[in-house]
Amino acid sequence: MKGLKLRLRVLRRRVSNFWRIYRTSKLGLAGLAIILGYVALAVMAPYITPYDPFESVALPFEEPSPQHPLGTDHLGRDLLSELIYGTRVSLMIGLTASFISVMIGTTVGLIAGFFGGKVDTVLMRLTDTFIQMPQLPLMLIFVSILGKGILNIVLAISVVAWTASARIARSLTLSLKERPFVEAARAVGAGSFQILWRHIVPNVFPVIFAYANIAVVDAILSESFLSFIGFGDPRTPSWGMILYFASRSGAMSNGFWWFVIPPGLMIMTLALGFAITNYSLDQVLNPRLRRR
Amino acid sequence: MGFKEYVARRLLSSLVTFFLIIVLNFFIFRIMPGDPTRTIARDARLLPEQRELLKKRFGLDRPLWDQFILYLVNLFRGDLGLSFQYRGTPVVEVILGRRMLNTFLLMGSSIAVALVIGMTLGTIAAWKRGSKADIAAIIFSLVTYSIPTFWMGMLLILVFGYYLDWIPISGTITTGVEYQTFWEYAADYLHHMVGPMVTLVISFIGYHFLLMRNSLLDVFTEDYMLTAIAKGLSTRTILFKHAMRNALLPMISVMALEVVYLFSGATATETVFTWQGLGLLIYESVVKQDYPVLQGIFIFMALAVLTANFVADVVYALVDPRIRYG
Repeated sequence: MKGLKLRLRVLRRRVSNFWRIYRTSKLGLAGLAIILGYVALAVMAPYITPYDPFESVALPFEEPSPQHPLGTDHLGRDLLSELIYGTRVSLMIGLTASFISVMIGTTVGLIAGFFGGKVDTVLMRLTDTFIQMPQLPLMLIFVSILGKGILNIVLAISVVAWTASARIARSLTLSLKERPFVEAARAVGAGSFQILWRHIVPNVFPVIFAYANIAVVDAILSESFLSFIGFGDPRTPSWGMILYFASRSGAMSNGFWWFVIPPGLMIMTLALGFAITNYSLDQVLNPRLRRR
Repeated sequence: MGFKEYVARRLLSSLVTFFLIIVLNFFIFRIMPGDPTRTIARDARLLPEQRELLKKRFGLDRPLWDQFILYLVNLFRGDLGLSFQYRGTPVVEVILGRRMLNTFLLMGSSIAVALVIGMTLGTIAAWKRGSKADIAAIIFSLVTYSIPTFWMGMLLILVFGYYLDWIPISGTITTGVEYQTFWEYAADYLHHMVGPMVTLVISFIGYHFLLMRNSLLDVFTEDYMLTAIAKGLSTRTILFKHAMRNALLPMISVMALEVVYLFSGATATETVFTWQGLGLLIYESVVKQDYPVLQGIFIFMALAVLTANFVADVVYALVDPRIRYG
């Protein structure tokens, strides 16, 4: 009990320290605000959408009007309501896929870096090979093998995107395991697993957390493209899926701009929120950058 | 460790990795649900005699181990099987040739333009770090990074294709046109290339910019920069002779990474503009379940990645002796 209390206090001090520095970055606060705004949109979706996003409520391809501020799609569904609901799908896939991929990558990196030797050689050879393959074509190949659907999109993204976090986790582990505090832990008889879990993971985590934001950006963008070319689930339309319908129903050659522009802006802004946050976290967590 | 030994070691490690990729490629397409021979031979788009031929050549009725050996043998003969969507055309012929040329021209020129612009802007921003121009450029590059590439293409098509009618909406050339001269053909081709090229340049620029800027900022903290300033050299000499040269080192590996795109194509951009390159081929093969072509592209991409990185490592060692002795 006492140990837990102490650790909570350390954690609280760390968080408040972090926040004190992060608060000074205007860019970082803007990024955080964008993300929180989208989360609110996703949570409140059922209460703020003017129409049922799955029902035809007007004629197809209606221009924006007071009744339908963003017009209607090819089935006469209200696009504003669809966009608000799409937040849930895109946000959920982006977060889940990046979470899984960062978890896989961090585990691989920790093991490779900590145990070294043959394990390291094999794992890193695999990582180096995957890291340099163009990601989208590789994801496409995986989706074509796995089949359509949200779950498979999440899987394809995770299977391809884990490599960068593996590299980061490994290089951090390599430097951490030579530090005096690890040596001290070993001297008092701590086992490998305990050292890894209690001393290395807590120090790897902040950097991985900053990187995870870029992983979310990549996952959101990958999801939008995979849905755009028709691998999504038509029953739960994401923003990429809406653009797929737009492209299929000739929105570009007929000038249905309200069908093309808003979904992309939604994707871009959400991705930007995470990208800005990542950039600011880098500045905050990396003292060398602050000094420059 | 001498230079030769370093090169030999890198070569060996590249070869081992390539072998691993071949193994991976072999198994990925055989762990799919259903009949594994489906991904190689059992497709209605092939003639019965072609199916028989493939079955024999790849030993599809034999144990997995034999199949793997045969797969290797065929691979080194340059036989990657037959394409489904092109009704039995050899995969190698589908990948090499016209499509590869289209992708090379589009990607090569886009990357070159994005490199020059991104690196120039990065140098200026690093020199004037913290200024309004620097911050504006950082935000601009974060925005371009966050734009889905395919949507950028859609916007360009909508604005410059539909509303302004400046660029063609799709394709590599205008269909059904008889060209009088080669120049007419080239002009039409280039006209079609504008849209995808602008899309790609914008999507690459931010990355190059940020990398160059950060790489330069690292160099600025080095002692030799202080020496150069203390010697009273002009800003131009310091920036371009002392800083930029050293900051270019990390850019070598970036260029190596981007060589891969010459082979994979820009899937998103090519799909939106129906540019007849390798990226579009990947998309079409996925949609039409042309697994032999996908396997072939996978091998080609891997080969490109490994070659590019091997060359980059050698170049690194040539320009920076610390690496080969490190």
